[in-house]
Amino acid sequence: MTDLASSGTRRTGGTAASNGRGLTGLLLVSAPVALLGWLIIYPIFNAIARTLVVQTETGTAFSVDTYVRFFSDGYALANLWLTLWVTAVCAALLLAICLPLALYLRFAKSRVAGVLQGLALFPMFVPSVILAYALIRTIGPNGGVDLVLNALGLPKINSPYLTPWGPIIGLVWDNIPLTTLMLVAGLGAVSDNAVEAARDAGARPLALLRHIIFPQIGNAMLVVLSFTVLSIFSAFTLPYVLGPASPEMMGPFMQRTFSQVMDTRMAVTQAVISFLICAVFGAFYVRSIAKNREARR
Amino acid sequence: MAQLTLKNLGKSFDDTDVIRDLSLDVADGELVCLLGPSGSGKSTVLRMVGGFETPNRGAILIDGEDHTRVPPEKRPTGMVFQSHALWSHMSVAGNVAFGLKLRGLPKAQIRQKVQEALALVGLKGYGERRVWQLSGGQQQRVAIARALVLEPKILLLDEPFASLDQHLRERLREELRDIQRRLGITTLFVTHGQDEALALADRIVVLRGGEIEQVASPDRMYRGPQTRFVAGFIGSMNFLPCDMRGGVSDHPLFAVRAAVPDGPVELAIRPEALTLCPARGTGMRVHLVTDYGTHLLVDVDLPDGGRLKAMCPPSARYETGQEVAPEASHVALFRGDAKLAEVTLERRVAVHV
Ligand SMILES: Nc1ncnc2c1ncn2[C@@H]1O[C@H](COP(=O)(O)OP(=O)(O)O)[C@@H](O)[C@H]1O
Ligand SMILES: [Mg+2]
Repeated sequence: MTDLASSGTRRTGGTAASNGRGLTGLLLVSAPVALLGWLIIYPIFNAIARTLVVQTETGTAFSVDTYVRFFSDGYALANLWLTLWVTAVCAALLLAICLPLALYLRFAKSRVAGVLQGLALFPMFVPSVILAYALIRTIGPNGGVDLVLNALGLPKINSPYLTPWGPIIGLVWDNIPLTTLMLVAGLGAVSDNAVEAARDAGARPLALLRHIIFPQIGNAMLVVLSFTVLSIFSAFTLPYVLGPASPEMMGPFMQRTFSQVMDTRMAVTQAVISFLICAVFGAFYVRSIAKNREARR
Repeated sequence: MAQLTLKNLGKSFDDTDVIRDLSLDVADGELVCLLGPSGSGKSTVLRMVGGFETPNRGAILIDGEDHTRVPPEKRPTGMVFQSHALWSHMSVAGNVAFGLKLRGLPKAQIRQKVQEALALVGLKGYGERRVWQLSGGQQQRVAIARALVLEPKILLLDEPFASLDQHLRERLREELRDIQRRLGITTLFVTHGQDEALALADRIVVLRGGEIEQVASPDRMYRGPQTRFVAGFIGSMNFLPCDMRGGVSDHPLFAVRAAVPDGPVELAIRPEALTLCPARGTGMRVHLVTDYGTHLLVDVDLPDGGRLKAMCPPSARYETGQEVAPEASHVALFRGDAKLAEVTLERRVAVHV
């Protein structure tokens, strides 16, 4: 599904017309490439450089002191672990929720599936701040759920508000639409005939999932995983509003280091570390796509 | 070996009747072709036999046992789809072996059976290839091997060669016919190509709008179509509208005698039942001659604006614009959709130039 780049015929002609077209193509491509360089590539290297270069009386010097500080600081490490843990839990929950949903949307032929597809996309249009507020009002202390329980004479819930489960619930909810969409798109690669042929060969639902469906949507799952990691590392609103104060997730941590501790270099270092972790997942994803395309050649 | 019975099958989608009331017996080892235009319900019938659709009415019996509601994974049927049904993440051998693995057969036996199945379809030594490295024809062979390796009682094929080019289609058709004969497997084959049905089938079932129009051997289907629809759908046919008056048709060219009540009829004449003799003053002129090597197909313009197709021996010579007189040796009479009579005529003249 993500295999968008065409591997069409390579142009070898040398006529004036085709050269003209080549130039136009180059110009068209140069705009996004320039933007990419200016807005993404340059800031990355700039940020990395700023963390590694310090101003001293004698001029500038190379130093990894902020990295050393980050990795020897128990609090910073706790924040990183919390973020990684939240990411893992969110990814697991998202797959657990969205996979059945996507399977249903892909293979059910009823009209209910259409309605459900619309519903599944709904969270995409709710801004995180409003979502956070709504969650506080329902599962926060003395929220909607508590009121109902209280009316029934039951004890209050142990509210996830200001615990890691607060942002987890919010992030999962927020990411359901995109995850479902990506999985449905991935499942589009599994043809109806392929599934029916497997049933014909004697595969029951579980064998069907294991041997036919999952192996064909490995790529989609990898994309989902990468996207989850990226969006959770860069999430700010939900962890900030719903999450615990200590340890805190990387988003709020960076923001606080920047604007309250006013340690810009440290904040950038935290950002670079987050980026490197995301880049590892990005590399996995790119490699899997490249491998796929190679195999298909 | 197996025998298949469909009893008063009915199926509707969204309150539309797709199959109305279909009954059919397929004998042990027989190859039956379901033939019909697109949308006539052929696939639906096949999918009901395979267990992929549940009939709303009626029953499906295999060897006398009711299988109407048995899911596909438990049916003794093997299906070959038109396309895109191979599992691209497995090798060719993996595809063929899948069903055997699910049945928990020992490894050595699986390997043996897979090799035999691949050899049967002419793909010996292709086991380790990936399916997307194969051509369209080879992929369909793998699909056939995959269905056959499980030794189904009934083999089902849904337009398996429709996406292949003419040449390959004919070759695979012959190979399938050979394999089917050799294994003696009861087979239901869906196609919308009448040539495919005529070439393959022991018996042809013509479907139209979810109902059986006619069931007959290819020979009977071609030479004795029972309805106007079958007459037009199988092979090519000239239809000439005219009136019956006192037992004789009033067509200026073909005065056919038949004990038929007065009223409008259509004369149906196969191109090969027509002979063209050079003549003058008939007003019928050769419009186009197409040389097929084995025969000539001659289009003749009629004075009333109609056109006839006649099949002539390759040695004959016709010029465009040349005047001719057609003669028919065999004519069927249809009124509406029903056949009224069939008439074999004696040749008055048999002159070839
Ligand atoms: N799953 C389905 N849902 C709704 N209508 C269907 C479905 N399958 C087939 N049909 C309808 O049933 C009719 C017969 O279809 P089909 O059996 O595929 O015809 P054929 O194979 O002869 O071309 C068509 O009009 C088609 O639109
Ligand atoms: Mg069909």
